[in-house]
Amino acid sequence: MSDVVVTGRGCVAPVGVGADTVFDALLAGRGAINEEGLAPCADFDPEQALTPKEARRTDRFTHFAVTAALEAAAEAGLDENAVEPSRLGVVVGTGIGGLTTMQEQVLTWAKEGDRAVSPLFVPMMMPNAAAAHIAMKLGAHGPGFSLATACATGAHAIGEAKRMIERGEADVVVAGGTEAALIGVCVAAFNRMGALSREKISRPFDARRDGFCMGEGAGILVLEREEHAKARGARILARVAGYAATNDAYHITQPDENGRGATDAMTGALRDADASPQDVGYVNAHGTSTPYNDRIEALAVRKVLGEDTPPISSIKGHIGHSLGAAGAIEAVVCVDALQRKAAPPTLGLEEIDPDCAADHIVGGPRELPDLELVLSNSFGFGGQNATLALAAA
Amino acid sequence: MATREEILEAIRTELAAIKVPDAETAEPETTWEELDVDSLDLVELVKALEDRFGVEIADADLKGIASVGDAIELVERLQGAAA
Repeated sequence: MSDVVVTGRGCVAPVGVGADTVFDALLAGRGAINEEGLAPCADFDPEQALTPKEARRTDRFTHFAVTAALEAAAEAGLDENAVEPSRLGVVVGTGIGGLTTMQEQVLTWAKEGDRAVSPLFVPMMMPNAAAAHIAMKLGAHGPGFSLATACATGAHAIGEAKRMIERGEADVVVAGGTEAALIGVCVAAFNRMGALSREKISRPFDARRDGFCMGEGAGILVLEREEHAKARGARILARVAGYAATNDAYHITQPDENGRGATDAMTGALRDADASPQDVGYVNAHGTSTPYNDRIEALAVRKVLGEDTPPISSIKGHIGHSLGAAGAIEAVVCVDALQRKAAPPTLGLEEIDPDCAADHIVGGPRELPDLELVLSNSFGFGGQNATLALAAA
Repeated sequence: MATREEILEAIRTELAAIKVPDAETAEPETTWEELDVDSLDLVELVKALEDRFGVEIADADLKGIASVGDAIELVERLQGAAA
């Protein structure tokens, strides 16, 4: 069994700010997708976590990440003397980076030329900016970087942070994903690909699903070596029991028809957790609401966990698909599910597609009193997949 | 030609625009260090002052410019040279 545990959670999502607020909204079946088919974090205020100057000098994806990271750090009690600074790491990724800044500055440059380009362009836009600002806020001098695996970024970040602790490179790692890509050029591009719902409705696993709805936000977990957490008296919320990363090596956007990458990721995460399929009490699906993903993910779940699947749901019916943040927000949700022994429903799912057959949680939350182990799937464009296995504390 | 007071007021306004804390209370003797103004802030300030006062500030001109007063004198000198 892994000795990496979770001691803090932070979340910014379209349904609210704060891990508990978000989980309550999900259980209550409260969604945040607007008439345009987008799920913005509409009431989010960056100056809750950043000074006006810091907020001006950082992109929205960094605003989300720093806000979530400070929440997670506070819950974990990461004050000055809690961790030796060189043993505190930060692994926070984004699928896309500072697209707000990118679009605005490219337009300015095209219109007004070189001299009009902001000196803040690069430090705001670069994908590692969020991880860098979190490190500055927390005084984290250990390993720090960002990674990008599109829609699987958040899960890969948490998984790689687990590995980093297992390799002995850090005692505590602040890990997760962030995204702020509800930007004209990006929405247009996903639309042109046919990835977004024409109906502007996210309904994972539903027979009528026709694409995803874009969301935004950030999810952060504080991961910690168990002994370290116990020695300083930190509250253990869950255990990062297993993780696996795989590649479809098939197509840049379509999943492998046989679900090989997804199947291998789930199998690998179970092996890493030293667990068997019947131990899994809940699957938090990638469940994007695209025709391809949901069908193939359901197939992979049945292949790995059996035709009589554990309860499964996707929160993308509530908050859309927040790309690089999604896997991390979902990991936060899984920690909450383990704590509260309940899982949210898949909002919008009414007519289960026979090709997506599984034990779907519909209509309302499901009480799961015996919940000990959950799987959280994340599958990125590029065919890059990650599955996390999270266990009760 | 702008007066020293006008240049000071312009510097306060431009520093406030880039959210430098306490920019409104900056005086000629206030240093960048005291204002926590870094090299990126300076690039933004320089462009704003160039646009306002119709001067060109070269990188070499910025050598030794460590306070609001230094910047006022630089703008005055460049304005004089251009006149």
